[in-house]
Amino acid sequence: MQPILSVHNLNKYYGNQVGCKNMNLTLYPGEVVGVVGESGSGKTTFINSISGNLIPDSGKILIETGNETIDFLEISESLKRLLIRTELAFVHQNPRDGLRLDVSAGGNISERLMSIGQRNYGNIRQTIFKWLDKVEIDKSRVDDFPRTFSGGMLQRLQIAKNLVTSPKIIFMDEPTGGLDVSVQAKILDLLRKLVRELNLSVVIVSHDLAVIRLLADKIIVMKNGEAVESGLCDQVLDDPQHSYTQLLVSSVLRV
Amino acid sequence: MNNVLKFKNKKTDVTAQDEIYNFAYLDENTKRMIRRALIKALCIPGYQVPFSSREMPMPYGWGTGGVQVTSSCLTTDDVIKVIDQGADDTTNAVSIRNFFKKTANIETTEKTSQASIIQTRHRIPEEKLKEKQILVYQVPIPEPLAFLEPRYQETKKMHALSEYGIMHVKLYEDITKNGHIETAYAYPVKTNERYIMDPSPIPKFDNPKMNNNPAIQLFGAGREQRIYAIPPYTEVTSLDFEDYPFDPSKAPHKCSICGSNESFLDEIITDDDGNRSFICSDTNYCNQRMENN
Repeated sequence: MQPILSVHNLNKYYGNQVGCKNMNLTLYPGEVVGVVGESGSGKTTFINSISGNLIPDSGKILIETGNETIDFLEISESLKRLLIRTELAFVHQNPRDGLRLDVSAGGNISERLMSIGQRNYGNIRQTIFKWLDKVEIDKSRVDDFPRTFSGGMLQRLQIAKNLVTSPKIIFMDEPTGGLDVSVQAKILDLLRKLVRELNLSVVIVSHDLAVIRLLADKIIVMKNGEAVESGLCDQVLDDPQHSYTQLLVSSVLRV
Repeated sequence: MNNVLKFKNKKTDVTAQDEIYNFAYLDENTKRMIRRALIKALCIPGYQVPFSSREMPMPYGWGTGGVQVTSSCLTTDDVIKVIDQGADDTTNAVSIRNFFKKTANIETTEKTSQASIIQTRHRIPEEKLKEKQILVYQVPIPEPLAFLEPRYQETKKMHALSEYGIMHVKLYEDITKNGHIETAYAYPVKTNERYIMDPSPIPKFDNPKMNNNPAIQLFGAGREQRIYAIPPYTEVTSLDFEDYPFDPSKAPHKCSICGSNESFLDEIITDDDGNRSFICSDTNYCNQRMENN
C-alpha cells in the first residue's frame, strides 16, 4: 500500500528562529498520526506547513490522489487551492477560525459543496441534514447562526463543514483544546466514530496525550522544532525511550 | 493640446468661460489612461481593471466613476443622455447632463434611441439598445464578493481561480431565510462564462437585458477606482440554483400613467392614507408611449 501523504525533511524557519526542522511523516490511508509536544515545540508550525497554510523553507510533501502523486510544494497556486478545498481539510483549534459566523450553520456546511459545483438547493439541503445528523447537531438548528452555538457544537459544526466533501486527508490542530472535559470526551467519541466509519486519514496535533492515545495509530513527539521520537502510539507511550517523552508520559495527571 | 484646439475650431459657439476646461473636463492624459483601462476591460469581460480615479467636481457616490468613463468616451459628435433610476429629470441626471453640456458643449437628449452615450444610475432603459450605443453605469461597489470576503487580496485570488462557491452561499442563505432568492438589485451575474460581476445596483428585472446586448456596456467605480465592461453580444447569466431558477420579477401592476405592463415600476405613495400608485421608472419610455397614443 502506498502512503497517501509523505513528508520528507521539512524545514520551516522564522528568520533565525527554528519553526520545525528535519521533519518526516508517512500517513497511510485510514491511519491517524498524532503529533505531540509542549507549547512552542513546533507542532502547529509543522501542521500548518504540510497543510498549505504556511510555505515551508525546504523539504518535500507528496500527496497520493489515487491516480497520481502530487508534489504539494511544486504545484500551481490554483491546483493547490483546489486540493485544499476538495481533498484536504483543516480543523482549527478555535472553530471561529474555520467558520463564517455571519452565515447560518447550513450555509457553512454548504460552502464546500457549492465550490465544487453543486447547484441543486434540494440536494444540498439533504446533504446538510445528513451531516448535522452525523455530528449530532439537532436538525432544527440548521438555519441558526454559529454565534448562537456552544463551544462544543461549534467544533462539531466545523468538523461537518470540513468533512462534507469527503476529503482524503484531514488536519486537526488541537480539535478539543479550550473545551471542558465532558465536551472533549464527546468530540473525541465523535471523531473516533467518524475515523472508523469513513476510513479517514488524519494528522492530529495535540498537547494532550490522552487525546492522542485514544485516536492515533502512530505518534511523533516534538521538542524544540524537532521530532525526538516516533513510532506506534502504544509502543511509544508505554515504553518511551527519549528522556523528553518519558517526562511527558510521567507528567500526565492521573485521577 | 491638439485635441483642445481641434475642439475649439469645430464648435465656434464655445463661450469664453467654457474655454478654461479641456473638452469634457478631464485632461487628455487622464482620458488616455482611462481608455486603456476600458480597452483592457472590454478584452476581459467582467474583470475589474484598476485605474487611477481623479478627483471630480462632485462627491463620491454621485457618479464620479461614470462621469470619468463618459468623459473619456465622448467625441464632439456624440449625443448624451443621462438617467438616474430611469428618470431624465432627477437631480443627479440633470446636473451630470448640464456638466457635459457645459464642459463638452455637445448635444443632449432624453430619447434613448437618439443617444450615442447613455450614462445611467441603477437602470437599463426599457427601449432596446442598438449597436454603436454605449451604456455607462455608475458603480458604488464593484466587487461582488466584498460583503462575503472583506480582504481585497483574497477576492482577487478568488476571481483569478474562479473560486465562486461563496457567492452561492449568499443565495443559499436567501432561500433558507425567505423561501426564494431575496436579492432584488445588484444581483450577481457571470460574464462570458468566466467572471462573476456586480451589475451595479440595477433591479434584477434588468439583468436579462445585459445578456447578448448589441450596445457596449461600461462600468465605472470612481471611489473604488475600478473599471469593468461587457462587450456587445456577450453572454451574461444571473446566478441561481437548478431548483430555484433566476426570476426577473416585477411589481404585479400596470403603469398608472401609460398603462404599460412590461416596464419596471416605481411605487409612489400618494397621500397620508397609504394610497399608492405605480408608474414607469423609465420616464422617456413612459412619455413616448403617451405621445404615440
